[in-house]
Amino acid sequence: MKKLLSLVLALAMLLGAVSLASADELTELNTYETQARELETWNVHYSQAAADLNVLCNLFDGLLTNDNHGNLKPNAAKSYESPDGGKTWIFTLNQGMTWFNKEGEVQADVKASDWATGLEWILNYAKNDSYNVSMPAEMIAGANEYYEYTKAMTEDESQGAEAAKALTAEAGSKFAELVGIACDDEAGTITYTLVDSLPYFPSVATYNCLYPLSAELIEEMGVDGYRDVTWENMWYNGAYVVSYYEYQNQKVLVKSPNYWNDANCKRFDKVTIKMVESAATAYQLFKEGQLDHVSLDQATLQAIYDGTADAEYKPNLVESRPTKYSYQFHLVYAKNLEDGTTPDVNWNTAVANENFRKSLYFGLDLTNYFARTNAINPLSCQNYVYTGNGVSFTSDGTDYTALVRKELGLEYDSEKYVRYDAAKAAEFKAKAMEELAAKGVTFPVEVEYYISGASTVAAETAKVLENIFSTCLGDDYVKLVTKTYTNLANEVRKPRKASFYINGWGADFADPINFLGQETYNDPQAYYANNYSICNENSDPDLIAAYQEFTDLVVAAKAITNDMDARYAAFAKAEACMLNHALVIPCNYEVSWELTKINNYSKVYSMYGMQGYRYVDWETSTTPYTTEEMNALAAAYAAQ
Amino acid sequence: MVKYILKRLFQSLLTVLLVVCIVFFLMRLMPTDYFFTEDELMKFTDQQKYAKLERLGVMNICSTCHGSGELEGGEACPDCMAHSTTSKGTGYVDRSVFAQLGDFFSNMIEMRVFNAKGKEVKSVDPVNLWTWWGSGSTSFDGKLKEGYTVRPCFNLGKSIRLEKGQYVTDVISTKMSVSMSIGLVSLAVSLVLGVVFGVLQARFKGGLFDSIGTAYTVLVNAVPHLVIYTIIMIGGAALFGLPMRYDATAAEPWRTMVLPIVCLSIGSIAGYMLWTRRYMVDELNKDYIRLAKLKGLSDRKVMFRHVLKNAFVPLAQYLPYSILLTVGGSLLVERFFAVPGMGPELTNAISRYDLNLVQGIVLLYATMGILGVFLGDLLMTFIDPRIKLTGKGDVR
Repeated sequence: MKKLLSLVLALAMLLGAVSLASADELTELNTYETQARELETWNVHYSQAAADLNVLCNLFDGLLTNDNHGNLKPNAAKSYESPDGGKTWIFTLNQGMTWFNKEGEVQADVKASDWATGLEWILNYAKNDSYNVSMPAEMIAGANEYYEYTKAMTEDESQGAEAAKALTAEAGSKFAELVGIACDDEAGTITYTLVDSLPYFPSVATYNCLYPLSAELIEEMGVDGYRDVTWENMWYNGAYVVSYYEYQNQKVLVKSPNYWNDANCKRFDKVTIKMVESAATAYQLFKEGQLDHVSLDQATLQAIYDGTADAEYKPNLVESRPTKYSYQFHLVYAKNLEDGTTPDVNWNTAVANENFRKSLYFGLDLTNYFARTNAINPLSCQNYVYTGNGVSFTSDGTDYTALVRKELGLEYDSEKYVRYDAAKAAEFKAKAMEELAAKGVTFPVEVEYYISGASTVAAETAKVLENIFSTCLGDDYVKLVTKTYTNLANEVRKPRKASFYINGWGADFADPINFLGQETYNDPQAYYANNYSICNENSDPDLIAAYQEFTDLVVAAKAITNDMDARYAAFAKAEACMLNHALVIPCNYEVSWELTKINNYSKVYSMYGMQGYRYVDWETSTTPYTTEEMNALAAAYAAQ
Repeated sequence: MVKYILKRLFQSLLTVLLVVCIVFFLMRLMPTDYFFTEDELMKFTDQQKYAKLERLGVMNICSTCHGSGELEGGEACPDCMAHSTTSKGTGYVDRSVFAQLGDFFSNMIEMRVFNAKGKEVKSVDPVNLWTWWGSGSTSFDGKLKEGYTVRPCFNLGKSIRLEKGQYVTDVISTKMSVSMSIGLVSLAVSLVLGVVFGVLQARFKGGLFDSIGTAYTVLVNAVPHLVIYTIIMIGGAALFGLPMRYDATAAEPWRTMVLPIVCLSIGSIAGYMLWTRRYMVDELNKDYIRLAKLKGLSDRKVMFRHVLKNAFVPLAQYLPYSILLTVGGSLLVERFFAVPGMGPELTNAISRYDLNLVQGIVLLYATMGILGVFLGDLLMTFIDPRIKLTGKGDVR
C-alpha cells in the first residue's frame, strides 16, 4: 500500500512538473555575473578559469557533455567505447558538424583531425604556455614526452619558439609519432591510447583540454593570432555565437544558425550575461525584471524571509542546488611570520600536532558560518568530506562520498551539525595544550586568517568565524586574527603568511583522484600540498607519517583500475585516513537561496568539468517559480 | 602669440614624455610576479614564467648559454644565475628597462598588413616603422597576397590581461567614445544648469533661492556619492522606469544613459553653482558695478553684460580641460551602472598589471590634461582681451 501511495504521489508530482514545464517559457535569458568575474580570454584552449569556461562551453562542443543528472551524454561524439577495458577509447563523431564565424557563416567542416590539432596546441609548450597540460600529459600515452620535446625545442636557442610554433599534428609529424591519438577523418573516429587503463577517461572528454581546433583557423590567424583570438574572429562549433561583447558591461549570445544539433536541443534565442557591480545591484535588476534569476546575500534573504522588506518575494524563495565546489580548511604547515621569511615556529609546531588539529576538527561549530551563505537552512551547507558530492558513483549508484562518511562514522543530520563534539574537542584541546606546552608553544596560538580587503562581505564573515573560534575553543587556546590583502598570491600565499585558507576545489573529471591527488605528500602534481599547506616542508615526524600513510593509500587506490567499486572503496579509506588525521578540515558546500525563473533541475548538473553553464535544454517560466513549484520539480527529478 | 603657442606646445610635449617615462619606469619597479594570474603564479614552473616574461619583452634568452643555463663544459652559466634556484642558470636574463622603453617608442608606429576587405591579417606579424624602412619596404615580401596592403598604425602594444590580445589603441578608442558621449551631455547639462542657478543665487543673494541652492550644494558634497547614486538608481527605475544599467544593445540605448548622466551631473551642477555664485558675488561688490548701477543701468543689463561676463572668465579657463577630460569617464558612476567606459579602466589595468594598457591610458590622460590647461589659457585671452599670456606687466 505504501509503495502504491508513493508511486501515485511521485506520478502526481511528475504530472505537476510536466504541467509547469509546459507553461510559457522564456525565449531570451537575462543572467549576470559580478564584475570581479569577467572573462579574461576567448581562447578555449588557453583558459582554466571558471569565469571564461562558463561562457566558452556554450560556444564550442566537445566530445561529450552531461545531462541534468550529471550523466555523460554524447555531444560532438555520438558514441564512445573502449575495446580493452579502459586503455584505448574510441569516439565516433556526428556527421554534419561545421565551424562557423560569429555571423554563422560556415568556414570549414569539423573533422576528427581537429581534435589532434587541439591536443597538439595544448601540449605544445611554445603555443599554450602550458595551460591545461596536466590532465592529457598524465593520461594520454606520449603526451608528456611531446610536451617535453616542444619545451626543449623552445628553450634551445638554435631552434627556438618559432620552430616549436611551426609544429603541427599532421600525419608524419613528431606529434603523430609520439602522442596516443589517432584520427580518421573519413570514418569520423578519434582513438585515444592512454598510459594505463583509465575508466573515467570519458569524463575528461567533457573538458576543454580535449576540445577541437581547426588547422585552417591557425593557418588563417597564425599561432600568436590564435592565442589572442577574440569573439569577433574566432570560429565556433557550439550552440551559441557571440553577437555583442563589451568588457565589464555584457555579453550577448545568440543561437548558432548552423548548429548541427539544432533539432535535438532546446536553446534560448538570446542569452544576455550582464556584468553587475554587486549582488545588491543584481537584486535590484531582478526586481525591475531585467534579470531572470538572482542569488540572495544573507541580508536580503533574511529581510525577505522575515517579511521586513520585499515580502512579496517570500513565496518565491528557492534553495539552490549545491555547486560543485567542496570547501575545506587548508591548514598551512610551513607558515611564516609577518615578514614573509621567518618561520612562525609557534603555529608550525602547533599545527603539526594531531591533537591540536583534531581539537579544531571536532571543536568548531560552523553553523553560524554556514548561515552567511544560507541563512534559512544553514546545515544544507555542512560538509564532512574532502571530495565533492556527485563526482563518482559505485555500480549500485551510491555516491562515493557516502563511502567516506561511512568510514568516518559521520552522517548528515538536517537538525544538527554532527561533527561538532564539544567533549571530544575539550579532550583533544587538553592533550594538545599539554604536549605543545612541553615543546615551548605559547598560548593562545595566534591563527592568522586573510581576506580580501575590498570585500565587506568577507569582513563580516570573518567576524563570524572569529566568534566561532573564540566561543568554541576558548580565548586561552587559540586566537583568530583577521588580516586583509589586495593580492592573495603575492601578499599571502607566496610569503606563506596565513595559518589556513578556506578554499573550494571543483573536480575536472569524475574520479576521486582529482581531489585526493591534490593533497599527496612529496608529489609535484599535488596542487594544494605544494601551494597551500606546504606540508612537504614541515619536519615533524608524526605529521610526515600521517601524510605518508594517506599518500600510500591513495597510490594503492589509484592502481586499481579494473574494479571501480574496489577503487572507490580504497579511495574512501584513503580520504578517511586524511580526515581522521585532520590533515585538512572539511568546511562547507555552497547552497544559497535565490529567486529564479529557471528550473534548476533541468539544467546540466555536473559536479566536475565545465559543462554546468551550458544554456541548453533549460526549462524556464516567465514568472519566478514558487517554493512549492520548485519543490515539486525537485521531487519529480528525484523520482526520475 | 604664435611663438608662445609653439613654446607651450613644446613644453607640453616634453611634459607628456616625462610623465610617460616616469610611469614606464615605476611600473617596471614592481615585481614580475604581477605579470601572472594567481593560478599561473602557483602552477607555472620557473621556466614557464621566464618564457612568458620573454614573450612580454621583460626578459631575454641568455645569449651566453643560448637558454640552456649551462656552458658547454657543463658548468652553470654565470650570466643567467640571477634568479636561479638551482645549480644551473635559468637560461633567461633581465632585459634592460631602457631597452624596453626604446621598444615602446620605436614601436609606436607599426606597419600592419590588411586584406582587401580592410581587415588586419593576423597571420602576418606587424613590424615597426624603422624595421620596415630599413628593409627598403620589403619586410612583407612573400607574405603579401593579392589585395593585401601595408598601412602604418599608431601602436601602444596589446592588452596583456584585461582584454587580452586587443590593441591598446582599439581598447581606448572604444571606451573613450562611450565615456565621452555620457560625459559631454553631462557637462553640457551641468554647465547650463550650474551657471543659471549660480547666477540666480547671486542675484537673489540671501533669499530663499540662494538658501535652497546652498543647501543643495552642501548636501551633494556631504552625502557619499554612492548613496546618492543608489537613490537615483532606485528612484529613476521606480518612478520613471529607467533602466538601471547601461546597455548599448537596448531598443532605446539613450534611455540607459539617463541615470549615469544624472549621477554625473548632480555633483558638477553643485560645483558650477558654487563657483558661479562666488565669482558673481565678487564682481557684484566691485566699484564698476556700483558705478553702473548709479548710472541707471537695469539690473538685468548689469548682471548679464558686466557681472556674468567677468565672472565667467575663471570658469572658462577650465572648460576645455573639463571637455577633454570627459574621455576619462568616472570610475564610480561607470562601475555602478556597468558603463563600459574609461572610468574604471586605469585602476583595473593597474590592479591586473596590464602594462601596455596602463601606459596607453596614462599617455592619454597626460596629453588631455596638459592640452586642456593650455587651451583654457588661450580661451581666457579670447574671452577677456585684457589678459595677455606674453609680455610684461599683466602676464599670467
